[in-house]
Amino acid sequence: MKEWFGVVARLVTGVVWIVAGAIKLPDPATSVQAVRAYQLLPSAIVPTVGQLLPIVEIVVGLTLVLGLLTRGAAVVSSVLYLAFIVGIISVWARGITIDCGCFGGGGFDPDAASQYPWEIARDVGLLLLSLYLVWVGRTRLAVDNLIFRATTTPAPEGR
Amino acid sequence: MSKQSARETRAERAAAALEVQRRQERRRATLMIGGVVLVILAIVVGGFLINRARDTSTDVAAPAAGSGDYGVAIGDKSAPHTVVIYEDFLCPYCGELEKATHSELATLADEGKVYVEYRPFNLLQTDYSANAAAAFKVVLDASGPDVAKKFHDLLYENQPEEAGPYPDTGWLVDKAVEAGAEEGQVSDDITQGTGKAWVEDASAAASDAGVRGTPTILLDGKVFQDGRTVDDLANNLLAQLQ
Repeated sequence: MKEWFGVVARLVTGVVWIVAGAIKLPDPATSVQAVRAYQLLPSAIVPTVGQLLPIVEIVVGLTLVLGLLTRGAAVVSSVLYLAFIVGIISVWARGITIDCGCFGGGGFDPDAASQYPWEIARDVGLLLLSLYLVWVGRTRLAVDNLIFRATTTPAPEGR
Repeated sequence: MSKQSARETRAERAAAALEVQRRQERRRATLMIGGVVLVILAIVVGGFLINRARDTSTDVAAPAAGSGDYGVAIGDKSAPHTVVIYEDFLCPYCGELEKATHSELATLADEGKVYVEYRPFNLLQTDYSANAAAAFKVVLDASGPDVAKKFHDLLYENQPEEAGPYPDTGWLVDKAVEAGAEEGQVSDDITQGTGKAWVEDASAAASDAGVRGTPTILLDGKVFQDGRTVDDLANNLLAQLQ
């Protein structure tokens, strides 16, 4: 049961990452602008973060969906969701109204304040699923099960 | 050798063999993880470099300050620095930037340290953005650059909320008059939106130049983005011009 719930968690978090990254991929300049709009990072590293994020999102998403190094991918996924939650809380607290840029777009949005609670709730949900995967590690239907198949049995048989 | 000790030796040997096998397996798993991590890192780095090359954020190829057809300039053209500011009359960050820089830039321009051109256009595609920029064009033509610059400053001082409600063209006429325009010369053209074709051309020119957002600042022809917040940006820009 636990292992099957893990598969669901992998697919949900993984597909969200792939979609979020794929939408941003065609337009790095918009992605950079979305990061800048948070007014959180030093301007020198804003472009790097904006250019790197879509790639990392897609790669983390793919590894989660495939179940490749599941635990490691889930750790990265958790850290990223945590960073996004902190980011959204931070702009909300500072009274900055921006589109979170989570799925493309980004920048100023006058109606943003009403979106923040729902965005935070969504990211907390996805964070919990990621943390669950960190905890279980092994799940069904994962590439991990093929490449790390045990060739020895746990207890010595002694012929 | 007793039967029992022979069995023990056999069991020990089997255990030792198993231990070797387990060690090999752990080694194989470690190598596998390392290999997969390396491949993933290579993909991330490769993708990042491709994405970086595709990023057009700083590829703004705009006409030099004073040589464009869509702005108002202050200062001496031969000043050591030039600044071009693309802005939308409704954009809140433009309002913040104006608040933090308009009098300082005017002073620096007077001192001959910088030549500044303001290029308003319609980024946000709102009625106010279009009407205000069109009124700016009418004032520029009818009353000259000094009044147009004053009008521009007044519009930012009294900037409406981006969400609305927007002031009407009558209010724009009032501000133009307050800036020093002759009411009879600008009133009809502002009310009728005569400057709107110019605004569309200005917006197309900004877009062609690669301007993607407002405010976009060009310092000596290069996109200037050094600052976490708008205030940081303003302070860093002013510091460059001292």
